[in-house]
Amino acid sequence: MEAASKGKAPLQNRLGIKGWAWAGRYKMERYLYTLHRITGFGLLLYISIHLIANGFRLGGEASWTDLMSVMGNSGFKIGEYLVMAAFIIHALNGGRLMLQHLGFTLGKPKPPVYPYVDSMRRRRPLTWIMLAVIAALALYVLIEFILEVTG
Amino acid sequence: MRESHLKLLQYITAIGIFFLVGLHLIISHLSSGEPTDWTSVSQRAASSGWLAIYILILLFGIYHGMHGIRGLILELSLPNKAVKVLNWAIVFIGLAVFGYAVYIPIHQFMAPWQIS
Repeated sequence: MEAASKGKAPLQNRLGIKGWAWAGRYKMERYLYTLHRITGFGLLLYISIHLIANGFRLGGEASWTDLMSVMGNSGFKIGEYLVMAAFIIHALNGGRLMLQHLGFTLGKPKPPVYPYVDSMRRRRPLTWIMLAVIAALALYVLIEFILEVTG
Repeated sequence: MRESHLKLLQYITAIGIFFLVGLHLIISHLSSGEPTDWTSVSQRAASSGWLAIYILILLFGIYHGMHGIRGLILELSLPNKAVKVLNWAIVFIGLAVFGYAVYIPIHQFMAPWQIS
């Protein structure tokens, strides 16, 4: 920001792609950043497969039924569960990011009194609540999937 | 368009996707019958309400996905020329995917005799 205001080029991302996975000792929010990316890529992969599969509808009933018989195997069922889990994680973590980016959950500024605590860590209970909701929803969906497969 | 406006659109599309995909999952998977059965697929394909939901999910989903990918690539500190190429590539790919994906439900809605 300061560099941009003085007309200088911003600092380069020297770590490149490696920095997405490892850039030093991470706090919890940084792992959530990595998880957000992984789930985002996973959902993009699923959507690509979903759109290609939808194209089989144009081939008529026989084409669609053949495809569905292939997608009915347990491997695809596990994939479906992972997609649902990725959707839950990406949606709830995305909601947390939105609230923080727009400043709703950052709280009021405080004087810098030692030991210093940044606003992200002061609001960590929100992250814990979000993780608990993710775990509960992922477990609920897992039970639903197991009941569907075994029932 | 300013970056802040693009980011705001990213948030708006995220909220849209959350509710529309939720609606899609709840209606199609909690209703009676198997949602992937040809009969069920045909019924949804002939509905104008479902067509509207599909088109909105595609619009929101493709914008959200393409803007997300753009954000990832921009973190690599590209030169200005490469950023311009990237922006056009993202728009072009997004439009191409939207064109392909929207053709399927529109075609089936306009020609229901082919699916019944």
